[in-house]
Amino acid sequence: MTVDRTTAPLPTEPRPYHFPHITRTTLPNGLRVLVTENRNAPLVSLRALVRSGADHDTAQTAGLASITAEMLDEGAGTRDAMQIAEDVGILGGALGTGADWDATYISLDVLSRNSEPAMSIFAAVTARPTLPPEELERVRAERLNDLLQQRNDPGAIAGKRFANLLYGTGAYGNSIHGNPESITGLTIDHVRRFYAQHYIPNHSSIVVSGDVDAASMVDLVTRALSDWQPGTEPPRPTVSPRPIDAARIYVVDRPQAVQSEIRVGHLGVPRSCEDYFPLAVMNAIFGGVFNSRINLNLRERHGYTYGARSQFAFRRQAGPFVIAAPVRNEVTRESVSEILSELSRIRTGDIEDGELDDVKNYLMGVFPATVQTASDIASRLVDMELYGLPEDYFDRYRENIAAVSKEEITRVAHKYLDPDRVLVVIVGNAAEIREPLGSLGFPMHEMDIDGNMLAVS
Amino acid sequence: MLDITDYRLQNGLRVVLNEDHSAPLVAINIWYHVGSKNERPGRTGFAHLFEHMLFSGSEHVGNNEHFRYVQSVGGVLNGTTFFDRTNYFETLPSNYLALGLWLESDRMGYFLNAITQEKLDIQREVVKEERRQRYDNVPYGTAFERLLRLAFNPDYSYHWATIGSMEDLGAASLDDIREFFATWYRPDNCTLTLVGDFAPDEARRLVEQYFGEFEPGRSFPEFNLERQKAGHEVRETFASPVQLPRIYRLYHLPKMGDPDWVHADLLTTVLASDKASRLDRALVHEQQIAQDVATYVLPTEATGLLLLQATAREGVAIEKLESAIDEEVARISVGGITDDELTRAKNRAEIEYAHQLETFDSRADLIGMMSTYFGDPSLVQRWLDPYRNATKEDLAHVARKYLIPENRVTSVFVPESA
Repeated sequence: MTVDRTTAPLPTEPRPYHFPHITRTTLPNGLRVLVTENRNAPLVSLRALVRSGADHDTAQTAGLASITAEMLDEGAGTRDAMQIAEDVGILGGALGTGADWDATYISLDVLSRNSEPAMSIFAAVTARPTLPPEELERVRAERLNDLLQQRNDPGAIAGKRFANLLYGTGAYGNSIHGNPESITGLTIDHVRRFYAQHYIPNHSSIVVSGDVDAASMVDLVTRALSDWQPGTEPPRPTVSPRPIDAARIYVVDRPQAVQSEIRVGHLGVPRSCEDYFPLAVMNAIFGGVFNSRINLNLRERHGYTYGARSQFAFRRQAGPFVIAAPVRNEVTRESVSEILSELSRIRTGDIEDGELDDVKNYLMGVFPATVQTASDIASRLVDMELYGLPEDYFDRYRENIAAVSKEEITRVAHKYLDPDRVLVVIVGNAAEIREPLGSLGFPMHEMDIDGNMLAVS
Repeated sequence: MLDITDYRLQNGLRVVLNEDHSAPLVAINIWYHVGSKNERPGRTGFAHLFEHMLFSGSEHVGNNEHFRYVQSVGGVLNGTTFFDRTNYFETLPSNYLALGLWLESDRMGYFLNAITQEKLDIQREVVKEERRQRYDNVPYGTAFERLLRLAFNPDYSYHWATIGSMEDLGAASLDDIREFFATWYRPDNCTLTLVGDFAPDEARRLVEQYFGEFEPGRSFPEFNLERQKAGHEVRETFASPVQLPRIYRLYHLPKMGDPDWVHADLLTTVLASDKASRLDRALVHEQQIAQDVATYVLPTEATGLLLLQATAREGVAIEKLESAIDEEVARISVGGITDDELTRAKNRAEIEYAHQLETFDSRADLIGMMSTYFGDPSLVQRWLDPYRNATKEDLAHVARKYLIPENRVTSVFVPESA
C-alpha cells in the first residue's frame, strides 16, 4: 500500500496541556515563594529574583549591579568562595548569579535528592553574602579584561552603541557591564550599599521547580530565609530615551570587519504594554521566527545573511525595538534598504490570512515545548514575578494570542513602528561601506567603537 | 529505566521508540551517519552545505515550506552537522506525528527532483555568511580550524572543520549534491528516533508507511581513518585582531566511548569546570594570570579530541600562563586527585546527563548518537556506568598517558602589533 504524499497528513485529536499548579505563599518578611512540582527528572531548580538590576546604575557606577551579583558567591555565611564551589560540586549542582537591566537572578540547579543542603547554600548566597574586599579586586580585574575583549566583538559593540544612542548614559543606556572608568572606580562600599539597599526579601521572590513536594519545599524556604530582614523598597529610576528626529545612520568603524553588524530600531514599549499580545504576533511575522519576513527576505531570498531577526525587548520600562542582521560588506546598503522597506510594508496592512494564522498557531502551539524542564518552568515563574503577570497568565496565554486580528496587527505596526525615525547602527568596515550607504540619502555619522564621533572623510 | 524499543525496517532503517506521555509532545530525530569526515579534499564544508539544502524543499514540500509546516503547528526544528554525523530534528505537538514523518520521509526519498541551481546558490551564500559570522569576523574564531590543521594530516578527514573553506564552498555543484545524496542519504545509513507521547503500534505503522518504500544502498566508500602520529608537539603562533593572548591545545585521545575517553571526560571536570577545579583555582583565583580557562572532550567517532584553552590576563606573558598550566597537569600526573575531586566530577557528569534526558528532543538526540556511533541505542541506559566506576587512578593514568607534549598540538593567538 502506498501512502498519498501529495498533501500534508492531518493531525489527530490534540492532547491537552496544562501549566503545572503553582503553590504560592508570602513569608512574614515579605518574601514571595512560588513552587511547582515536575517529576519528569530527578532535578530541582532553585531561583531567587531581586527586583533591581542595572537600571539602578548611574553613569559613574555603571556595572555595579552586575558586579554585586557576581560577588554573591565569593563568600557567604561561613563559607569562602572555594568552599561554596566545592560544596555545590559535591551536590552535583550548578550555581549562577547575574543581573540584567531590570533584576538580579540567583540560580542553583541540583539533583533533587540534594534539595536540603542545596537550599542552605542558596539561602546563604542570597541573604548572607560576605562580599569580601579582596575578592572584589579579582572580580574587578576579570571585568576589566572582559571589557577589553568586548572591543573585538562586533555584536557587543553594536549593542552598546545602539543602547547608548537611544538612552544616553542613564538606565538602559550604559552597558550592564559598565566601562573601564566606572569599574575602576567601584569600591566595596558601593557593592555593600547596593546589596543592603536592594537585596531585601520584600523586593524579592523565591521560585522552586522540580522533583519535589511543594509543601515541604515551602517549609524549607521558610526555615532558610525567614530571618532575612526586610527594608524599604527602592524606587525604580526612570529611563530617559532621547528623541529621534529622523532616520540616521551611524557607522562604527571596525577596519578589519568582513561583515557589517546591522542594528535598526527605536524605542519600544514596556512589558506591561496593553498591546503586548498583538505586538508579539506582529513581531513574529516581521522578524521573530525563522520564517519571518526579514529572515525570508535577507537570508532565503537574497542570501545576504546567516540570520536576521527582530525583537521588542519587553522590560519593566520601555526597552528597544531592534532588528539585527550580520551581512557581508558588499551588501550592507541593500540589506539596510530591504529592512526599511519591510518596516514600511508591515504598516500598510499587507498581511495574508495564512501568514497571520501560521504565526498565531506557532506561538500557541510551541508553548509546551518551551517548558519541558524544571529550569524552563522556573524561568517562566521568575518572569511572572518580575513583570507582575496575573496568576492565570499561562492558562490564558492561548486565548490572548488567538484573539489577535489582522486589523490589530496593522494598528500596532502603525502605532509602535516608525521607519522614518530609526537609528541605523552598523559596526563594519567604514572604508568599504561608507559610499554605498551614503546613496541611501540619510544623515550619516561615523564614530569609533567607544562612540566618539569622527569627522566623515 | 527508559522504555526503549529498537528495530529495523526491511530496508535497513533503524527505528528507536521511547514512549513517554509526560508532555503532549513528540520529538522526531534522524541521525544520518555522514559528516564532514566523509568529504573529499576540494569539497570541504559540503556535508553542512548539504544539510542546508535539505531544508529547501523536496518533491511534495515547497521551498521554505518545511520550516513553515513545522512552525505553523507550534513545532521547533533544526539540523546540525559535525565530523561524523548530520542530524535533523523537530519537536511537535504529539497529534502531528504523521506530519513530521511525512516531512522527514519526503526529503529522504523525494529530494533530488526539488533541487535547483538557484537554491544551491542562495544556500551557498547563507553558509558563507555563517562562516563569516562564526569564524572570520569574531576574535579567536578560527582557533579550532587551526588546531585541526596542526593535529591531522591533510589526507585525514578531521584535518578540516565542518564549516569548510570559502573556496570549496564556491566549488560545490548540483552534481556533487546528487552524488552525495545517493551515497549517504539512504535508509540503511540512519537512525530514526521518536520520543514522547505516541502509541507505539500507531507509530510503527506510520514509520513503515512513510519510510518502508525506500531502497537501501549497496556499499559505502572507504575512508582511511588511521591517524598518523607526529611523535612530537606541533606548535604555531598566530597574530590576529584579539585583545588578549590565548593558548589553544588539542590532545589526542582514543575515540569516544573508550574507557580512557570517559576518564578524560571526568578529568576535564577536575581540571576546569568551577572555581574549585584545578586550573580555575590556580590560574584564575590564586595566581590571577588567566582570564578564563576551559577544557572538554568532543563527541567524535573516529578518534578522540581533548581541547584546552586559557586566556592570559592583560599584561601577562602567554609563556607564563602556559608553564603554569603544565605545572598543574604535572601535579595530577604525579600526585593524582582527591576523593572529593572524583566525587564532584562524577556528580557533575550525573547531573549533566540527567539534564540531557530531561527533554524529549535532547533525549532523542542522545539515543541517535548511541545508535550511530556504537550501534546500540540501549546504551543510553548504561552510559553513566563507566563514569560511576571510575577511580582516582583512572584519571591520573589519563593525565600521564595523554596530557603530554608529544601527544598535543598548540596554537597560540597573540594580538597583532598595532
